Amino acid sequence: MPGGTGPTDPVKIKKLDSQNLMIRWADGHESRYVGPVLRGLCPCASCQDEDTGQRLILPMHIPDTLEFQKVEIVGQYALQFEWSDGHRTGIYSFERLRQLCPCADCTKASRPAGSETSDPAAN
Amino acid sequence: MNKQIDAAEERVLGELRKVRDPDLGKDIVSLGFVRNLKIEGGSVSFDINLTTPACPVKDQMRDEAEALVGALDGVTSAKANMTAEVRQAPRMDKSTIAGVKNIVAVGSGKGGVGKSTIAVNIATALSMAGARVGVLDGDIYGPTMPIMLGVTGPPDHVGNRITPRESSGLKFMSMGLMVKTPDQPLIWRGPMAHKAFHQCLFEVDWGELDYLIVDLPPGTGDVHLTLAQSVPITGCVIVSTPQDVGLQISMKTLRMFEQTKVPILGIIENMAYYVCPHCDSRDHIFGDGGARRAAEQLNIPFLGEVPLDLPIRTQSDAGVPIVRAQPEAASSVVLREIAERLAAQISIQNYNAPVLEVE
Repeated sequence: MPGGTGPTDPVKIKKLDSQNLMIRWADGHESRYVGPVLRGLCPCASCQDEDTGQRLILPMHIPDTLEFQKVEIVGQYALQFEWSDGHRTGIYSFERLRQLCPCADCTKASRPAGSETSDPAAN
Repeated sequence: MNKQIDAAEERVLGELRKVRDPDLGKDIVSLGFVRNLKIEGGSVSFDINLTTPACPVKDQMRDEAEALVGALDGVTSAKANMTAEVRQAPRMDKSTIAGVKNIVAVGSGKGGVGKSTIAVNIATALSMAGARVGVLDGDIYGPTMPIMLGVTGPPDHVGNRITPRESSGLKFMSMGLMVKTPDQPLIWRGPMAHKAFHQCLFEVDWGELDYLIVDLPPGTGDVHLTLAQSVPITGCVIVSTPQDVGLQISMKTLRMFEQTKVPILGIIENMAYYVCPHCDSRDHIFGDGGARRAAEQLNIPFLGEVPLDLPIRTQSDAGVPIVRAQPEAASSVVLREIAERLAAQISIQNYNAPVLEVE
């Protein structure tokens, strides 16, 4: 829909601490993200092959100690993070972030057991 | 004594609560538009501070307010003074061009639909209504705006900041001003286009502007993404011809803006019809009402239709937009109405937009 706020648009974005981020959506749902996991899912071209979509960087490559340095809103549609490892080229659209919500309800709904998508955020 | 004044003020405000801003759907008292209310004996005066000087119903609201207050017992004269203060888009105050209140992108699906002509005339109309307006010619591959505004030669620098040129009351910047000779082509790969546009947007001293109109290159590409990613723009306007082919391609541009969550402020149909100068008959050369139907289907405001009109073109070539050179011409009236509707949509957008920030 042009303009206005859709149910899955963010209404509140809060950095809880240096590793945790909360987004509340217009439909009331709350997503809590863990920094190092998000970093491992970075959608930028050096972390994910542009043509095949194959991941070049996985959450297993990221140290648990990684922190958010900066969280910035991009235009009106995405977040960009600067991490303590210096990486900052990933733009995470709100749509993608909503898909990545790691809560039990969302992982059950979008990634049922036995499905082919092995999204590490479900772990 | 004070109680009497309060009671009188309350009576006046009670009447003014009946005046609604049709765009924002609320009364002008709740919206905080009424300021400087003065009651001296039987004479009452007040300001109505609107969200744009280009308000399409400004006169209507003033007349309504004055009539309502004037009809109160004991009031001998009622005077509404219309003022305007354009509200800033959320988060623009935190951008590197914080003096700019609204950035409005003008896009089209394909070239040759008259996008730049429409953009220049809308900007000029907003400026003539009293707004502070800048124009950025983002069409880095085929900048035509220097011709339309009669501006040549590179802009001045103060330190490493670029001073925009001025013409027809507008602050103006174009890549076309940066090349040495006008017929020199710009042959650039994407990253250079991105960088050049970034400079034109952020390294120019725009100062305080109510509206910065950004004329985009046709289609969807680097410049569009740069704009959508680097600054919280208020919204975009799509210019299309009535022809289906042009319209279908315009929809692609529209979807791109939707994906980057840029609000669509409206569609303008250009070259909507041709009025024969000999017999005044209207010919819909490119078809009839295609953009209007598309706007209705997509639930997007339809801002208006602009005819194929020789003076629009000749004025563009002469370097003075038609709305300024011939303000009473039929096409100028149409363009001014479109600018007013756009200003109203910008106000609505800013009023409804959620304020998002990282806490």
